[in-house]
Amino acid sequence: MPYKALDQFIVLDLSNRLSGSFCAKTLGLYGCEVIKVEPVTGDLTRKWSSDPNSSGSGDSPLFHHINAGKKSVTLDLNSPEGRDILDILIQKSNILIETFQPGEMESWGFPYKSISRTNPGLIMTSVTPYGQTGPHKEFDYTELTVFAMSGAMHREGLPDRYPIRYGAEVAQYYSGNLAAAATVSALLRLLRKGKGDWLDISIQECMAGHPHQIGRRAPFIYSGELDLREQPRLSSSGTREPYAVGTFQCKDGYMSFLPLGARMWPNIARMIGREDLLSNPLFDDADKRTSNRLELEAIFQSWLNDRTRQEIFEAVQEAGVPGSPILRSDEVMQNKQFLERNYFTLVDHPQQGPIKLTGDPFRLSAVDEKPLKPAPLLGEHTDQVLKKMVGLDDNQLTSLREREIV
Amino acid sequence: MNLYPTDDLPLSGIRALELSEIWAGPYCGCLLSDMGAEVIKIESIQRIARGPINPPPDGMYPERDPGERPWDRQANFNSTNRNKKGLTLDLKTNLGAEAFKDLVKVSDIVFCNYARTVMEGFNLGYEEVKKINPDIIYMLMPGYGNTGPYKDYRSMGMAIDAITGHSYLRGYPDMDHTNNSLVHHPDAAAAVNATLALSTALVHRELTGEGQFIDMSQAESFMTHMGEMFVEYQISGAPRERRGNRHPAYAPQGAYKCEGEDNWIAISVTNDDQWFSFCEVIGKSLKKDPRFSTVANRLKNHDDLDAIITAWTVARDKYTVMYKLQNKGIPAGAVLNCGPDTYADPHLNDREFFQIVEHPEAGIFPMSGPVLRFESTHGITIHNPSPTLGQHNNYILEEILGYSKEKINLMEEKEVIGIIPLPGADLGGSRRASEEQARQSNAKFNNDENV
Repeated sequence: MPYKALDQFIVLDLSNRLSGSFCAKTLGLYGCEVIKVEPVTGDLTRKWSSDPNSSGSGDSPLFHHINAGKKSVTLDLNSPEGRDILDILIQKSNILIETFQPGEMESWGFPYKSISRTNPGLIMTSVTPYGQTGPHKEFDYTELTVFAMSGAMHREGLPDRYPIRYGAEVAQYYSGNLAAAATVSALLRLLRKGKGDWLDISIQECMAGHPHQIGRRAPFIYSGELDLREQPRLSSSGTREPYAVGTFQCKDGYMSFLPLGARMWPNIARMIGREDLLSNPLFDDADKRTSNRLELEAIFQSWLNDRTRQEIFEAVQEAGVPGSPILRSDEVMQNKQFLERNYFTLVDHPQQGPIKLTGDPFRLSAVDEKPLKPAPLLGEHTDQVLKKMVGLDDNQLTSLREREIV
Repeated sequence: MNLYPTDDLPLSGIRALELSEIWAGPYCGCLLSDMGAEVIKIESIQRIARGPINPPPDGMYPERDPGERPWDRQANFNSTNRNKKGLTLDLKTNLGAEAFKDLVKVSDIVFCNYARTVMEGFNLGYEEVKKINPDIIYMLMPGYGNTGPYKDYRSMGMAIDAITGHSYLRGYPDMDHTNNSLVHHPDAAAAVNATLALSTALVHRELTGEGQFIDMSQAESFMTHMGEMFVEYQISGAPRERRGNRHPAYAPQGAYKCEGEDNWIAISVTNDDQWFSFCEVIGKSLKKDPRFSTVANRLKNHDDLDAIITAWTVARDKYTVMYKLQNKGIPAGAVLNCGPDTYADPHLNDREFFQIVEHPEAGIFPMSGPVLRFESTHGITIHNPSPTLGQHNNYILEEILGYSKEKINLMEEKEVIGIIPLPGADLGGSRRASEEQARQSNAKFNNDENV
């Protein structure tokens, strides 16, 4: 449930792509009042759907997720009156999040320079695929194409096949999350020094500067070492007990293992009930276990074959071996740890009905919570917000509505 | 050279004590220090936590040479601890614990990504630390959080990837999961959420004067990066399956082979307008081909379409193809490898993503830069080298804590601090302990992995 830590701050969310929208949603989870400004026809992500006909509300699953807790205001930014209203909204906000192509805000008359003159405390957060500068700044993108340019994709997959992306839209989520962290840090500076700021977040750069990328890139720059696609069993830096590295089938699904090093061998032998192997001269050091890995792998696999993921997960915890069950989304929602911690949060969407959404990424012990609201209907809060923040009355709103400006 | 005052960054004036290793905790420390916080990374000379050192994966060292102090030349460590200060302390000793407590008095944040009970084991858990500094912000970030049946489960990125449903979605759709890769993203998700958590708590403290304990679950923080998958399941009743590089509403989408060895281009055609533009580029006759006339048809005949696209890309340069398509407004990106390709990428270079860093033990190299760019610093980022082991012992003990030379000498004598691992120290990485040690006390050695 959202925490009321940042509840004095108003976020104006102009974003129309996942990363910025998720950044704004995350700020809402920690108390910000998030006002989502959409075109009169609705944010494109309402229809961006992995399964176009799946939603009773007409909104995509993605939209439900990344807009929960926000207020929706419709506004036609192509009309001068719409832009005048935006101007006032910007002046009354603390944070502005946008995902337009670099220069687009400026073309509407809202370059950061002039915004910061009228609202010097504003923190403007721009999240774009390649940032505000550089030769590729105007490139269009999807998760796949920007992920490809980060260095993360080329090593993902098997050597004799095409490189493959991760499962989730990680580049956009990760950079949106990073944008949120930087935005809140900028809030601290605002509180201490009264200064606003403009953040230039590039999705490519976030992913290229991702801890795994920089960690795996350093051996190249230090020594020319390449980081290419490898067979998972053999992909190891140092000895990793290769007979038990990677993903294995078991009785009811798959388990992933990553035993780091020789110290794991006694634990594994004990776990599979084969302590006799510890004194077997074929396996008594890491190099021998590597050269005889197929034999050991067969022993390991036969132990896995008779056991369920749950049984194995309990056994690895008992034995101190890093291993974990691969769960499907429905199984994740039933997992006892997440249930016990009440992680998934129920919201009641007026058109969709009750939906469980992912909960808090972290929990604050000293801050009160408030209920999470579902993603807003299109323009649900137009009147409420424009009356309160812009001072419009019913007649003005009716007129704007007739002219399809709101 | 810094072109702006470093005391005017978002987190300038904040001091954080970091106890962590590998990815999630260290990268959180990087982000805090990139934004101006003074991050003191606390290590020890009893147990070296700097990633694989011995046996040396040779490429981990500059010019493949571990040198006399391999722990100071380790690529992984040196790339994920920039901008921090390094302190060694043996927290098991009174002198070490005392120094830690003295630091707590003058710090804002303590964060730890070891298992939940490690700090308690040193008698430095939140309850204890709060007595010394009631306003402290204290975060523990074990794999599954600080409560619940899994609270003491050891975990790594691999485990979180599997249990959150992400591994299930990875890999080639026509193969089983045993081919899944071993590169796991959740550490990074945890690092950014940890940074957000600490900055949120700092703002809260600024407004109310209150410090607090933060309960962070690496798994729960990563699941927010897949939220739509759970909504999709509830609405459709069908759990999401693997998609490979394809997309349910964009077609064609995929990675296509280009000229040269292991070169690829990623292409996404997201609507009909882009499809027609795409046809203009690769072959106008495709426009009239009924197999590809609508998204639905292109999805149905995706394999045929892939073959046609590959025939066009295979003899072309990946960047040339990318520019050609981007000029027509079609999302395309060269599949850059992590090393030479990203180093050569004109865009990353134009933004000065790589910075020349002079490290006292590793030498001078262009390292990957910080990514958070603020207008207040003209988008310029600072990249000071990662600390060598105990590099800032004197600065921290003398200048921050005001310890006397005698006291510091005593700490050195008693091996509470130092800059070289003790003989027989646990060097970390894949040979953290000998097999004999491991046999004798395996439980003891398994208590420290929430990385």
